Amino acid sequence: MRATARGQGPITFILPALLLLAIFIVYPLVSTVWMSFTNDSDQFVGLDNYQSVVEAGRTARAVKNTIYFVGASIVVQLLLGTIAGIVLNEKFKGQAIARSLTLVPWVVPGIVGAMTWAWMFHTDYGVINYILLSTGLISTPVRWLSDPNIVLPSLIAVNVWKMFPFVAIMVLAGLQAIPKSLYEAAQVDGANFWHEIRYITLPQLRPMLISITLLLVIAGVNSITIIYSMTGGGPADRSLITSIQIFVEAFQFFNFHTASALSILFFLVSTAIIVVYIVADNNKRSAQE
Amino acid sequence: MSKNLNWVYIPLFLIVGFAIIPFLWMALSSFKTLAELYRIPVTILPDQPTFENYHKILYESNVPRYFLNSTIVSLGSTALGLVFAIPAAYAFARMRFRGSAFWQVCVLVAHLLPSATLIVPLYIMLGYFGLLNTLLGLTLVYTVLTLPLSIWMLTSYFRHIPVELEEAAFIDGASRWGILFRIMLPLSLPGIVVIVLYAFVATWNEFIFALTFANDTSVKTLPIGLAEFSTEYNTDWGAIMAASVIMTLPIAAIFLLLQRVFVGGLMSGAMKG
Repeated sequence: MRATARGQGPITFILPALLLLAIFIVYPLVSTVWMSFTNDSDQFVGLDNYQSVVEAGRTARAVKNTIYFVGASIVVQLLLGTIAGIVLNEKFKGQAIARSLTLVPWVVPGIVGAMTWAWMFHTDYGVINYILLSTGLISTPVRWLSDPNIVLPSLIAVNVWKMFPFVAIMVLAGLQAIPKSLYEAAQVDGANFWHEIRYITLPQLRPMLISITLLLVIAGVNSITIIYSMTGGGPADRSLITSIQIFVEAFQFFNFHTASALSILFFLVSTAIIVVYIVADNNKRSAQE
Repeated sequence: MSKNLNWVYIPLFLIVGFAIIPFLWMALSSFKTLAELYRIPVTILPDQPTFENYHKILYESNVPRYFLNSTIVSLGSTALGLVFAIPAAYAFARMRFRGSAFWQVCVLVAHLLPSATLIVPLYIMLGYFGLLNTLLGLTLVYTVLTLPLSIWMLTSYFRHIPVELEEAAFIDGASRWGILFRIMLPLSLPGIVVIVLYAFVATWNEFIFALTFANDTSVKTLPIGLAEFSTEYNTDWGAIMAASVIMTLPIAAIFLLLQRVFVGGLMSGAMKG
């Protein structure tokens, strides 16, 4: 179409939104870069803040925890989500209600899920320990959220519960895009259900699963709500992930300058992941076309 | 796929059970007395169902105030988000201009950026403008939080509307804005509904920004109120479960009423971006 009278150009349409995003994202990030190179008396200190962040034992611990938490979560989320998506794609009575119910953990507030699981994980009065004790599977109560070796697996379970419905719905959408003719041809060739999954469904879903994986990485490094409200990063930093470390550094220790340095490092790593995601997603789409 | 359907019910029950048993447990616990919650053996159904937890939440806590704050902030940022998202999405969908693709990628990056990268920068900026501990500050932050995905989803919705209608109106001398408001918007209502739902749910559920930027009772939101019941020394599980139910109800109601639009929209939005 032809452009443009006064106030009719593209600028008038996009500028308000871009300006708002610039003011609330770009400007704060730039000022954080400045903060990360200065100290409390506003003097330039070079890379000092970065050095103290990188050398802190906590940072290494948090990075390790983040990788463990995110990596383990994603493997289980993908597995369970794909199974759930395939199951929910079958025709059966009550399919619509089953789909809605499966989505519930993803839709309700994260804090509600976190609190409910914290109550079920309660060492003395929680239903999980009660069931395990009374069936004889364990003989002493498990300290799900305060045993240093068990806290991360417990939180991973909650994170899986929260996010597998998202994978399931994406898989469901992906399954509906697979041409029926592929399955018909396979059936003519005598393929059984497992053959179909192995040689048609999974390969067809693969590009989508890759881009979901990157979305899950981003969601995982950002899962502050669950961890912060259930354990606060404890016991003894055993469930501290980097995003919580930023929060704690700034708002419990009030080290804004080191927190800024950490934010910038976190920003760079996240942006790298996002760029990989966008490139992979573009490839996926051009492959489909 | 397989014609033999009996097998489906086994994994189905496990999956659906895993998804919803925590909510059943939350609801059941909210009707138990404190004495019953702290008793072994654990009971499944409440012995003597009670509303004492709800009474405590509604009459002896700040939860009603937080509920109001959450409502204001969520509705405010959702409405504000629409004002910014609609024209931007229209330009991305229909106008050719230099840098269009670049700016769309920027919007996507803004959507994907983890909130942890922005906590410290935003805290400093909000403090500078005197917007810490104000509902306005939180509303603006939430608008920015949901704006990128709203633009992204609405752009792809606009692209699916046939361009011929607009061309006719354009020849008749209608302005761009006239076309947007009189032709595009009425045709895009389902798409608008999806982004309204998305923005409302995302902001209603948001935790870490609210925890950082709104510390005053007069501006705290529900997620923070919920976390407040749990302290290191004393956790009132009955009250938490009742507050959880209250907090979940609006979301569950919206979701069940508009489930079809919501799921369909998320699926198409996600598939395209």
